[in-house]
Amino acid sequence: MSEAPRPPNLEVAGLRSGYHGVTVLKGLDFTVGDEIFAVLGANGAGKTTLLATLARLIPVMAGSIRFQGRDVTQLRPYTTAGLGMGYVPQEKGVFADLTVLENLTVGGMIGRRPHDERIAEVFELFPGLRDLQGQKAGTLSGGESRMVACGRALMQDPNVLLLDEPTAGLSPLYVDMFFDKIRELHETRGVAIVLAEQNATKALQVAHRVMVLSLGEAYAVVDAADLTTQQLKEGYRI
Amino acid sequence: MLDWLDAFLITGLFEVVMIAGLGLLLHLQLGLARIANFGVVGFWGVGMYTFGVLYVKVDWPFGDPWQFLACAAAATLVAGLAGALVGWLISDLDIDGVLVVTLGFATAVQIVATTEADWTGGAFGLGGLGFPYDIGTVKENEFVWLMITGLLVAAILFYVWRVHRSPYGRLLIATGGNEPLARSLGKPTFRTKLWLFVVTSAAMGLLGAMEAVMVRYLDVGHIGISITLAAIVGLVLGGTARVWGAVVGTVLTVGLFDIVIRTYLPLPREWYSQALPVMREVLFGLALILVLLFRPLGLLGDMRRDQLMRKLHGR
Repeated sequence: MSEAPRPPNLEVAGLRSGYHGVTVLKGLDFTVGDEIFAVLGANGAGKTTLLATLARLIPVMAGSIRFQGRDVTQLRPYTTAGLGMGYVPQEKGVFADLTVLENLTVGGMIGRRPHDERIAEVFELFPGLRDLQGQKAGTLSGGESRMVACGRALMQDPNVLLLDEPTAGLSPLYVDMFFDKIRELHETRGVAIVLAEQNATKALQVAHRVMVLSLGEAYAVVDAADLTTQQLKEGYRI
Repeated sequence: MLDWLDAFLITGLFEVVMIAGLGLLLHLQLGLARIANFGVVGFWGVGMYTFGVLYVKVDWPFGDPWQFLACAAAATLVAGLAGALVGWLISDLDIDGVLVVTLGFATAVQIVATTEADWTGGAFGLGGLGFPYDIGTVKENEFVWLMITGLLVAAILFYVWRVHRSPYGRLLIATGGNEPLARSLGKPTFRTKLWLFVVTSAAMGLLGAMEAVMVRYLDVGHIGISITLAAIVGLVLGGTARVWGAVVGTVLTVGLFDIVIRTYLPLPREWYSQALPVMREVLFGLALILVLLFRPLGLLGDMRRDQLMRKLHGR
């Protein structure tokens, strides 16, 4: 007897959400499998709103979100996090008053594997954090903070990682390093990644599929290799 | 016995211990979880009056110390329930909203204590309270009560010290520092904040019951804003984020004023009834302004979490 096919990591149908009655996402439909799924779009397209909605930090106005076959539309953020959804916000991604090590241990409060094992894995992925572990996160540079934020999300042992513009405002050196890490993370740990990015060139180098958001609507959902410059320009309203 | 000990010194020390205890509890709320509770005196007053009313008005089938224990437990419970209600109301509010609600709660407690005269004695006050023991003179009884309350506050200090070193403490700091992020990490922040508020409010209520025994006569003047102000000034002066902040700050403010200045400086007698209480508030306010201007993190400074983590993990 053949096994039933595994449901996709994320199934989003007719998703509408926003803030204080203002609709930002106007009915999105897409799925995310075991892949790197890039969400591209200009400022104000709704990328951050989409990721925060998937992380259940913003209420859903209509539509549904299924995580590995389970409806999580009405679940609280800490419940979806417990199911294996990691989230790295664009800004304020660290707890400034806690040290780097404490930030990581806070992320590891859920999950069963021993803390030390998970911390060792984070240090392996981001060796630069090892020397900073006793330092308060509020004193770190932008690139270091992003590493801590990613490391903290990985401490949750996520199946799906939502990364909101992880390279925004970083120096080119950090940008290259981050995209390498994103690919490494997916290939070595099998984590599905939803990557919101403005840097389309870099994102398309690592992504398998891509959604171009334009004013809260999906302008295109295609394989990364099939995305045309014309689609990108029109999606970015250039 | 205790001839060497001035009665005013006992009262002054008790005030220092009491405000330090409230400051330590406020440190958990404000310093770690960033809940700006301006209604400290409200929870303290709920405990004080619950204890007083139950102790005086109820015909208990047993005497002290059981009567004291039953009334103190009830005072703690009622203050905790008040904490649950207020904590629920402020759970989604920003700092301005929290200030207004907690301050409003404290005001409401004072109004209820004034108007419900059948129970609380209203403006005339409520007498009939006493120590749950009698070992001799009033001074000796007060001294023992000071020691008992000191032990209770030491236990609170130990609890705060433990919280700083525990995952729960990190969770409180994480929740206070960035609540949405903490939620996205799988932390039930609402429950965390509410439980903290309930426990600390209950402890404030217990301290209120301890105060009721010490003063033995309750009047609404006891539950004015000056108690909250003293706890906040002490905490901010010492350092809101530091374990010892409330203790150091309270010693330097309440201790300096209520013990050194009020008890030992040769001041004109007529000052004691009117001028000194006003002068106290002015000096506390001045100290608060100076600290916020020149040392906003308090005399002890910021949290030393880097050193703490090195000590804990040896890394």
